[in-house]
Amino acid sequence: MPKPLLEIDRLGVDFDLPGGAVTAVKDVSFRIHAGETLALVGESGSGKSVSSTAAMGLLPELARTHGAIRFEGEDLLAATPKRLRRLRGNDIAMIFQEPMTSLNPLHRIGRQIGEVLERHRGLKGRAARARVRELLERVGIPEPERRIDSYPYELSGGQRQRVMIAMALACEPKLLIADEPTTALDVTVQAQILALLKDLQRRDGMAILFITHDLGIVRHFADRVCVMRQGELVEHGETAALFAAPRHAYTRMLIDAEPRGRKAPVTADAPLLLEARDVRVRFSLNKRLFRPSTYFEAVRGIDLSIRRGQTVGIVGESGSGKSTLGRALLRLLDSRGDIRFDDTALDGLNASAMRPLRSRIQVVFQDPFGSLSPRLTVGEIVGEGLKVHALELSARERDARVQEALREVALDPAMRRRYPHEFSGGQRQRIAIARALVLKPEFLLLDEPTSALDRSVQATVIELLRDLQARHGLTYLFISHDLAVVRALADTVLVMKQGEVVEQGDTETLFETPREAYTRELMRAAFLEEAAA
Amino acid sequence: MLRYTLKRLLMAVPTLLIVITLSFFLMHLAPGGPFDGERQLPAEIEANLLATYHLDDPIWKQYLIYMGNLLQGDLGPSFKYKDFTVTELVAQGFPVSLELGFWAIGLALLIGLPLGIIAALKRNSTVDYLVMGTALAGVAIPNFVIAPLLALVFGVFLAWLPVGGWNDGAWPNLVLPVVALSIQQIAYIARMMRASMIEVLGSHFIRTARAKGLTETEVIRRHAIRPAMLPVVSYLGPAIAGIITGSVVIEQIFGIPGIGRYFVQAALNRDYTLVMGTVVFYGALIVLLNLIVDLIYSALDPQIRYDD
Repeated sequence: MPKPLLEIDRLGVDFDLPGGAVTAVKDVSFRIHAGETLALVGESGSGKSVSSTAAMGLLPELARTHGAIRFEGEDLLAATPKRLRRLRGNDIAMIFQEPMTSLNPLHRIGRQIGEVLERHRGLKGRAARARVRELLERVGIPEPERRIDSYPYELSGGQRQRVMIAMALACEPKLLIADEPTTALDVTVQAQILALLKDLQRRDGMAILFITHDLGIVRHFADRVCVMRQGELVEHGETAALFAAPRHAYTRMLIDAEPRGRKAPVTADAPLLLEARDVRVRFSLNKRLFRPSTYFEAVRGIDLSIRRGQTVGIVGESGSGKSTLGRALLRLLDSRGDIRFDDTALDGLNASAMRPLRSRIQVVFQDPFGSLSPRLTVGEIVGEGLKVHALELSARERDARVQEALREVALDPAMRRRYPHEFSGGQRQRIAIARALVLKPEFLLLDEPTSALDRSVQATVIELLRDLQARHGLTYLFISHDLAVVRALADTVLVMKQGEVVEQGDTETLFETPREAYTRELMRAAFLEEAAA
Repeated sequence: MLRYTLKRLLMAVPTLLIVITLSFFLMHLAPGGPFDGERQLPAEIEANLLATYHLDDPIWKQYLIYMGNLLQGDLGPSFKYKDFTVTELVAQGFPVSLELGFWAIGLALLIGLPLGIIAALKRNSTVDYLVMGTALAGVAIPNFVIAPLLALVFGVFLAWLPVGGWNDGAWPNLVLPVVALSIQQIAYIARMMRASMIEVLGSHFIRTARAKGLTETEVIRRHAIRPAMLPVVSYLGPAIAGIITGSVVIEQIFGIPGIGRYFVQAALNRDYTLVMGTVVFYGALIVLLNLIVDLIYSALDPQIRYDD
């Protein structure tokens, strides 16, 4: 057996925090050989990012490490800072999860890539520029000669991640550590980035340590897999073997957590609850006093009807207008076109005429961390709507309703005295759902309610939503970029692109036989058929 | 850029108009007038004086006359310094105040920025606590307390520096007022730079810079300082305004013939035209400085381009 390129040997990482030491990684060992792709899989807090950051020697000062990280036989934990700097960006390079913020906003991208070449190869001036242009071309940035002088804010998320990759590849590293490199990107962009990495790997023979929570990517991308949980390595093996016969219960749970199941259809004579004709939303790009403003049309004439008890899924990539449409339907944004809810025409209602209807229509947003006020207790957050819409309730009755709502979402009612920061992402999303349910609404707008959650948590939230719908006959408008989740929840699906509906239809038909090229492309990217090929 | 600058200058007109109008009426609300002294003037002389300066007209008429003159660039004569026009007094006092302010803001940046950077790099160490503790004291103690103390220690007890006077801006005369004026700003800038630097050091692009294998010095010098300075730059507008108003007190304490001292004395003497003259001048200056600060900001941050 050849010598491994990177060998992590009984690595442990503890953080010295004011409240005592916290163990982030415990006794983890694995190896990567040259040219191989190893996936490190786990949910948030499993220690997968800490392990890889340790390999770069970039842990914060509070961290205490033990064990060994050997790169080509040399122990990196014992190496001097100077030696580590020679390796970083040269032999070991890294790309990160956050393409939007990982580049310095004040420097041109050419300079940021050139910096690596200057540091490790001594390249400057014209020679450096030529090499940077070549790198930009290799990672598929259009018009590299022009883009080399762009600032990061002039590039999209996918392009910024390409720039990060160009920066990482500048010195032809032997090992690339990719920490959730596609998590923040749209599915079609994700597929392109993964294909690019595979292609570059094939050409340069570098090894990739790929950190992800997404098993779909792992299945198509990695040679071997390590599964981490709570700082420990619970299972590792060849990708195909591991997926075929996971030995550890946690791995099985992760694999089973892929959303599955289908929603039972409603009867064809179910009455219409929400109907919209030719909805249009436009934003003015610049307000001018005496000249006509220019507008950006985010939603361009969309028709939609939802029957009682139905779930309509809206899918699309960022900027497709799906969230804008959802907000317009609920009159949270100004729009044109007819919108009817039950028997009431919503368009033309002002804020106060709309208020009585608000208790029947509720919203759950994507970000379970930002959308709950940190200064209110869970009970106050959940009960707030009752203070507006159910004035007749006494404090005691209100409290009873809050407890009931928390029980509905499978949370302990005793939790209502605590504050949001004490809860995990999944629990917070349950709180947000309880807040919506407490008013006993008929209609819920779910705007990416599961996107910020780990897969296994996601599965339980989907289960909960389906269960609530069955019990209370709720009607959902479900907005998501995650096709697997939509498939598990929706009766019918609308595919949106640039403010228009590209295709719509019954969920099964649409997923089995998509008609439009764009829908097919979206599905191929989402289920990663391209990366497998 | 040019269009933006012109637009901003145009927008300054209503701002100044409001400032001038408000101060004009507020000033006339204060009891007394320019010719009320310890010695009562004979009635006919006072009547003559009032008529000469239109002070016997109704207030709205006085306002219109003042605005009319102002449009022609005439700030009027001073009631107290009878041999000078207000324009002459401002022209005399401004270079002095400008020199004082220039050194004070320069000193504040020169000391405040490095202190803030060092405190951020040595976060939660003795150095950090020392710098931030001193800075807190600097923010808390008002300059009318610091200035006499400085004069007492360095001027009277140690006798190293003159306690007051201008002496055409000779450096020994400059030191104490400049230091007194800048202490508060040093403290503000150091605290702001520290906070902003800590935030930048925790950002993702600093992690990227480290992952490139740059040395810590390179990381800080090339990637951290400039973004960390952005909030300080936007604070410079208010800071300069603070130094200008601060100099009103400092000039009085150190007996410096700047525009600030005229301002205080004019207000006490009900020297209406001189008060208005300094208000107009200060107002215009602050508007202009804020514009300059915004232009500097756009030069530092490529995401901010004023092209409309």
